[in-house]
Amino acid sequence: MEAKPIIALTLICALWGMVLGFVHQLTEAKIKEAEQKEKEKQLLQIFPGCTFEEENGIYYCYSENQLVGKAVEVQVRGYGGPMKVLVGIRIDNTIQGVRVLSHNETRGIGTKATDPEYLAQYEGLAYEQLAFRPEGEVEAITGATITSTAILQAVREAMQHA
Amino acid sequence: MPELGWELKKGLAKKNPIFMLMLGLCPFLAISTSVENALGMSAAFSFVLLGSCLLVSCIRRWVPRNVRIPIFVVIISGFVTVTELLVRAYSPTLRERLGIFLPLITVNCIVLGRIEAFASRRSPLETVADALGMAGGFCLAITSVALIRELVGTGGISFFGHTWTLLAQSIYGFQLSPGGFIVMGVILAALKKKGVI
Repeated sequence: MEAKPIIALTLICALWGMVLGFVHQLTEAKIKEAEQKEKEKQLLQIFPGCTFEEENGIYYCYSENQLVGKAVEVQVRGYGGPMKVLVGIRIDNTIQGVRVLSHNETRGIGTKATDPEYLAQYEGLAYEQLAFRPEGEVEAITGATITSTAILQAVREAMQHA
Repeated sequence: MPELGWELKKGLAKKNPIFMLMLGLCPFLAISTSVENALGMSAAFSFVLLGSCLLVSCIRRWVPRNVRIPIFVVIISGFVTVTELLVRAYSPTLRERLGIFLPLITVNCIVLGRIEAFASRRSPLETVADALGMAGGFCLAITSVALIRELVGTGGISFFGHTWTLLAQSIYGFQLSPGGFIVMGVILAALKKKGVI
């Protein structure tokens, strides 16, 4: 067995590992900051003008130092894989707003159920109303049944957690 | 040097990676739904192609023949990871748009193809010319297909926050993969007829 291929592979992997570690260190803080900003942007869409405090994965939302509600992030399985949903809940246990943070749904079909316009129907609902019509107050989208169901499930889960 | 000019130019038409070599079609079809996505993908792809081709060309004399493929793949995936880290840090929106197809540049056959067929045999200067031409050809192809798909599929073009609605009617199918194939086929036919490729 020749030693040359082993040396070449080991060298290139070690060198590349070092380069990647270096770039990772350079960008780590920036990536965290960007992710935080993105989450805050979504939280602000649900609770405009609020400040947020995180505790055990739950975001408590304050408006003028008054607790107005909380937001929970839930992960569920959609049609194309995991989907992250952010649910804002008011202090009286009704829904303030729902946002899909990340998803892999079919563009143009499943994504119809991730639009803010579709998600607006959840606003003001209580836990008992969280079922598809006629049992509840939620409308599903034709052709996007799995995505709609996943979001409904996410909202129910969020309400149970909070 | 007339040869260098040819290495630079061939990627644009005669050996266009998409229309002529027909490589890397999967991310090509997935991303060519809007002009903005196409340009983002082109930028990321060009960086990876140029970087890994240049590096391979520089170290080509020290790469043992029998382990060359693993070494190339390590180099490519390293460049892809660097790109992904940079995109995540400086442009989260671009990352959101490219999704899984950003890390998948690693297995894009255009990159490995150019390295194996060209960069591992030629001088760095020729390699840079080849990689620039191939990146340009990819950008040209994906942007032109994206332009048609976005225009016909959504009825307008949106670009960095501006949206122009140009058509009263749109055919949604052009946003889906079959539409991508059709647009690609029509462009390919037109280019062949004209004798460009």
